[in-house]
Amino acid sequence: MSVLEARDLVVEFRQRGGDTLRAVDSCSLRLEKGETLALVGESGSGKSTIVRALGQLTKPTSGAVLLDGAPAGRHGRGLRAYRKRVQLIFQDPFASLNPMHTIHYHLSRPLLRLHPGVSRARMSEMVIELLESVNLTPASEVARKHPHELSGGQRQRVAIARALASAPDVLLADEPVSMLDVSIRLEILNLLDRLKRERNLALLYVTHDLATARHFSSRIMVMYRGQIVEYGPADDVILRPAHPYTQLLAAAAPNPGMPRAQLVEARRAREAARAAARAAAEQVAGTAEGTGGTEAERREILLGDGCRFRLRCPHAMDVCATAPPDALATGSASVNGATPVAGAEPHHALCWLHAPSAVESTTKAG
Amino acid sequence: MNDIILRAEHVSVEYAGARPTRAVREVSFELRRGEVLGIAGESGSGKSTLAYALAKLLRPPAGLSGGAVTFTSADGAAHDMAGLDGRDLRSFRWNKVSMVFQSAMNALNPVTSIGRQFGDIFTAHAPEMDAAARDRRARELLAKVGIDPDRVRSFPHELSGGMRQRVVIAMALALEPELVIMDEPTTALDVVVQREILDEIERLREELGFTVIFITHDMSLLLEVSDRLAVMYAGQFVEYAPAERVATDPKHPYTQGLLGSFPDMRGQRRELRGIPGSPPDLREDFAGCPFAPRCPAAFGPCTTVPPVLREIPGESGWLAACHLHDSAYATASVPVTGGES
Repeated sequence: MSVLEARDLVVEFRQRGGDTLRAVDSCSLRLEKGETLALVGESGSGKSTIVRALGQLTKPTSGAVLLDGAPAGRHGRGLRAYRKRVQLIFQDPFASLNPMHTIHYHLSRPLLRLHPGVSRARMSEMVIELLESVNLTPASEVARKHPHELSGGQRQRVAIARALASAPDVLLADEPVSMLDVSIRLEILNLLDRLKRERNLALLYVTHDLATARHFSSRIMVMYRGQIVEYGPADDVILRPAHPYTQLLAAAAPNPGMPRAQLVEARRAREAARAAARAAAEQVAGTAEGTGGTEAERREILLGDGCRFRLRCPHAMDVCATAPPDALATGSASVNGATPVAGAEPHHALCWLHAPSAVESTTKAG
Repeated sequence: MNDIILRAEHVSVEYAGARPTRAVREVSFELRRGEVLGIAGESGSGKSTLAYALAKLLRPPAGLSGGAVTFTSADGAAHDMAGLDGRDLRSFRWNKVSMVFQSAMNALNPVTSIGRQFGDIFTAHAPEMDAAARDRRARELLAKVGIDPDRVRSFPHELSGGMRQRVVIAMALALEPELVIMDEPTTALDVVVQREILDEIERLREELGFTVIFITHDMSLLLEVSDRLAVMYAGQFVEYAPAERVATDPKHPYTQGLLGSFPDMRGQRRELRGIPGSPPDLREDFAGCPFAPRCPAAFGPCTTVPPVLREIPGESGWLAACHLHDSAYATASVPVTGGES
């Protein structure tokens, strides 16, 4: 059984003028013990909102969060018990530690909750154990320091140690390395990977970096504008992306080993694809002239019921404009309403191209 | 002889203090016209400081403490950057050398319109243009980087991050400079937007033929965009190599470490590790190689003799500052070719 599960999670934010923004649109996900699930997508796609909803920092508009199959506690004791088992690691280790307190203080607070009335000597021991588990040595020296005396990588280790203090089952890591220097990113990711194995943690790794997502997770979910558009085994999603958005993401990543001539060719192809998408979008936009409002509002109106990616999609078909792909009648194996793509392990894409009825009428994207 | 656009000789930069931080230490290189030079390194390796020194943008407490930078314009005239000031410097910046900074949010003034900011550039650096010409040119430049020319009336906050970065690039190209220095131009952007900007830069370079110094910590990106790659560590170039070949065959252990810090998105899964330890304190002097304490291949002379950046035997135009590639120590050396060991 999954340790943490979200079912049809919806998070809406009230905006100025009374409109609501649906940041997360019926997303479901499962986190398994000893496994890393990566959540990738561009800024504003709703990745962090999902994390905040799972960490109960934001109240979902609807949908359920289940811990060990039981609804997560929302208040008082239930919420405290939930927080003990589900911990977060944030992007910015400069903001997530209090500059006024020592590292010992940061770690002893959560330990005190778990072990009330413990002796001072035993507490120091536990703090040191925690620091050593994240390779912060000499631990007794580090414990006496304040955050400003540590580098970014060391601070992130402290944040990880603090998350481990309550002996959680689930870690939600929201871009844990994107603020850190290149040479230490891997060390932090390797540390998280080792802790996951040693402690049998379920890890949610939120990132916009496809390469580390592939290397540090077993499954990947791709988010686009609040929806999970693709989900599957890490290698399948990155090497054989099924959704045109994932294909776009993968194609945008640098190609360090590629010869010059090929690079130029690839660039020309991308430029052509972009021009085609732009022309299509303009054509659609033309039909919405006169509806008023800002450009963004017009686009929302246009998107209406159709696929949200279609204005950027090189494979957009007529059907994409009229019905959302999630309204497809999908098989029993569907996740988030997405259609399974052929393969041994489940690999789903929320796209008409992979809907059984649409496949015959169009060439399959490769 | 119009081939070399910029020549740096023993450039050193210090940040003043009780114990000065020697951020750039005796860096020498030649930049060929039309080339893209990529500069890589960790934070604090001195790559941005070097760029500022090349563009003569250093401000106290930073200052050039030694060396010379010579810029040769397309007409063959050589300018000694150290001697430029006042009006000469003003006509040099933007006209000959311009710079694109990392954070487009901070590079643009939030309270004036885009058109006005273009206007400011032209007023300062091309006073002969009248208002109509300035407006025309601003619109033309915006169109060139793929932005609706009517955006001259927009304010920075009305643009997305990618659009702002395009505006900053358009500004850098406003007076058709010969050299554009780009300091982490795409770091704050999403992969898809980053790719669009890179393609745009490449297309403009094809069209306008300017030379680029491209600075970023992202090795995989740098290997793709640059013709030559300089890897900086502790204020020095430790490797200076043709980018296409260094991807598969880095010579310096630090370059190997940097490349090993990036998982390959498409390649085989392999064990990955960063570079253990942390960069040295740049207020110190180094007895031997500054990378020796973190180097997996360090041997005898590394802790006592500072390595010099020199051509690797048998590799024309490929330089490394490493005793492993110094024939004087050839017998003692351990082969460290072939990337991750």
